[in-house]
Amino acid sequence: MTKVKIDNKLYERAKKAAEAAGYSSFEEFVSSVIEKELALLEASPDDDKAVSEQLRGLGYIE
Amino acid sequence: MNLSFVTIVSGLPRSGTSMMMQMIEAGGIPVLTDHQRTRDEDNPKGYYEFEPVKKTRDDPSWVPTARGKVVKVIYSLLYDLPLEYEYRVIFMERNIYEVLASQKRMLQRSGKTGANLSDDKLAELFKGQLNKFNHWIHNHRSFAMLPVNYSDIVTAPQLLAEKINTFLGGGLDIQAMVRAVDPALYRNKL
Repeated sequence: MTKVKIDNKLYERAKKAAEAAGYSSFEEFVSSVIEKELALLEASPDDDKAVSEQLRGLGYIE
Repeated sequence: MNLSFVTIVSGLPRSGTSMMMQMIEAGGIPVLTDHQRTRDEDNPKGYYEFEPVKKTRDDPSWVPTARGKVVKVIYSLLYDLPLEYEYRVIFMERNIYEVLASQKRMLQRSGKTGANLSDDKLAELFKGQLNKFNHWIHNHRSFAMLPVNYSDIVTAPQLLAEKINTFLGGGLDIQAMVRAVDPALYRNKL
């Protein structure tokens, strides 16, 4: 397992939010947040192409 | 007003950028636009676009002429701006499904096609792109950004105008900005 250092205040806020949202542990909450962020950041070239088609159709890029 | 930075209105297409351009113009900052894309049913008060923005990667020579003015640049073209200038970006945020509904109407009216994807997939892709963009802009000191919620234009124009005035260094005509808001333009609300 890898350890990550985060700001104490951020940790306290995140811990409270995780408990309120029903996560079984803080680790589960952090993993879930990272998974969601990665899904957004790791979009495929096909996805980028689709967005470009949309923007081009609307006349905002060439 | 003698501003050293370029004011940019940005966001997804159909997120309220033209309405924001109207507000800022009313506030007293000159608009950089060529009026090539004329007003229509989708943007009854005009698009406020500047064609050279689309070619910035190849020719950014327009950028220094934009200091002291406001120009509309959609989020994906901000990456092409040269980093030696200072930019203050007012970034429009709007419910993604309202944005997509408005984009769909615009594509239908113009007879053009966009991405052949479901709204849910397109929403996911745009959210991913905006996430990436947010990471990028916060790591570039040439840019300062003020996120603006589209619905605040209609529901709290005075407060919003004051925020924008502060962000842009003061001196704007806040009452004129408020008067520039046309609530009837809040179309495709979900």
